Amino acid sequence: MVASFGPIAMAVVIATIFGLLPLGISRLVAPRKPDSVKNAPYECGVETIGPTMIQFKNHFYLYALIFVIFDVEAVFLFPWAVIFSQLGTLALVEMFVFVGLLLVGYAYAWRKGALDWV
Amino acid sequence: MNFNLVLLMPEIALTSAAGLAILVDAFSPRGLSRRFLLWIAGGGIAISAALALRLLGTNTSAFNGAIAVDDYAVFFKLLFLAATLLVLLAADTFMEETRHRAEFVGLLLLATTGLMLLAAAMDLITLYISIEISSLSIAFLSAWDKRGLRSTEAGLKYFLLSAMSSAVLLYGMALLYGLTGHTRLDLIATQIGQGPNAALFLALAMLLAGFGFKVSAVPFQMWTPDVYEGAPLPITAFLSVASKAAGFAATVRVLQIALPTSQTDWTVLVAALAAATMTVGNIVALVQTNMKRMLAYSSIAQAGYVLVGVAAASQLGVSAVMFYLLAYTATNLAAFIACIAIFNLTDSEQIGDLRGLRWRSPWLAFALAVSLLSLAGLPPFVGFFAKLYVFWAAADRGLLWLVLVGVVNSAVSLYYYAQVIHDMYITGIGGGEPGVGDPVTTLGPRRPSPGLSTALTLAVIGVLVFGVLSGFFFGIGDVAARTVAR
Repeated sequence: MVASFGPIAMAVVIATIFGLLPLGISRLVAPRKPDSVKNAPYECGVETIGPTMIQFKNHFYLYALIFVIFDVEAVFLFPWAVIFSQLGTLALVEMFVFVGLLLVGYAYAWRKGALDWV
Repeated sequence: MNFNLVLLMPEIALTSAAGLAILVDAFSPRGLSRRFLLWIAGGGIAISAALALRLLGTNTSAFNGAIAVDDYAVFFKLLFLAATLLVLLAADTFMEETRHRAEFVGLLLLATTGLMLLAAAMDLITLYISIEISSLSIAFLSAWDKRGLRSTEAGLKYFLLSAMSSAVLLYGMALLYGLTGHTRLDLIATQIGQGPNAALFLALAMLLAGFGFKVSAVPFQMWTPDVYEGAPLPITAFLSVASKAAGFAATVRVLQIALPTSQTDWTVLVAALAAATMTVGNIVALVQTNMKRMLAYSSIAQAGYVLVGVAAASQLGVSAVMFYLLAYTATNLAAFIACIAIFNLTDSEQIGDLRGLRWRSPWLAFALAVSLLSLAGLPPFVGFFAKLYVFWAAADRGLLWLVLVGVVNSAVSLYYYAQVIHDMYITGIGGGEPGVGDPVTTLGPRRPSPGLSTALTLAVIGVLVFGVLSGFFFGIGDVAARTVAR
């Protein structure tokens, strides 16, 4: 039982050596001349301006919630659309009911000013 | 596929009323008045109750057996609707003072919808979703006073602990599904094998823990006093009756249908829960000085008495549980509504501040005294008969030690209930008639609002009528119990 894991243990050891060896060699032999351009974040998006640990509006939270409404709607709409023709009238009505319920929530959020940026 | 929507009409009506209240309020320029909202909610509740009554005797199931439409479910649906109506009536001062009152009404109706579905759930997934519908709404309602520290704490505590208990419940359900390959309760019963099974025992324990949270049974009661104390009083009243009754409705249905005692003996487990719940609830209630906390521990103890009926695991036990929940709903609502009225007057929740209430508002003192005596289980009030039936059912199953624990506990509970009555009726500040410094005499002539008075009167009438006609109402429960008890 335990012996049958031997090849796996071997693979783990080899993989570790294979990964660490080139890193170790390059650390030993490669020349190092850092400058500001080389130390800049590479392919990590736009650099931030100012401190990042700040308070921000909880309006973002509301927006995210409203986004989730439509996200979930889309998740349900896609499979429904694929087999829609086999499901018949009931499925059509059901989906309208579902979208209608979501619209109620959306209308409520809109009337309560969740979409205004203040 | 059986998509017979008629069978779901009570829930649909209530959800529509909730949506209507919230939407119309959002689109009306100055918001809806309390009176108008009460009409919408009352109309929704009345229509829903009428539709539920029409389903009486149907005894079928909808949506591939996921939702039962039997007398047992209808009984509980009507109970929840009545409780919600009384809570709404009693909340009128609260609604006058709060902002977002349409959302308050809407969320309360949605919570009720969740509880109604919970009483009807025949499928583990439906059961879980119903619990979530109600728990989420109740968590919002508990945190209603969002700038108040205690209310926020109550909401957060309820939310976190209900999430935790949902996880445990879900794990139990997953085990049950893994063991049997079914999520429908009646099909699970057919697949459960004979004999002891560690995984089945684990699933049972986890289900009981999840439901134990909902009904606040010891050792899952930790949230109860804090949430009861911090939440707005009408919500506490709702939480203590409707939510608890729904938890019991689901517990009994799952235990009776999915896990028949012939295959898994959960009697001892539930009996142990019952004994612990009664004892801890009553003993801790003895030392409370805050009225809300005292009622919270009292409601834990009451859950223990109901569990005695559950442990009996017979048709008699189920009917006794149903009658107890009916009695408890009326009684506890009367107690809480009287408290709402008193706190509106005094702005104090201390039991000591009730001193001399008899001279200040005789009717409130009388109502509170009646409900407390009924909670203590004294005849001729309904609480006595409820306890009688529950203990009878347990004795019938040979659980005599449990009956003994229950009776001793009832005697203990009389002490703290009677203490309140003593304060209201006998003691003014210097003993005898209240003097100038007494809290209740220094108040202005503010009277309870009409809605509050109506709700209180109805609840007290319930306590008296259910008590006098206990045989009749027990008979109703007995007929309905036949649809779930084996």
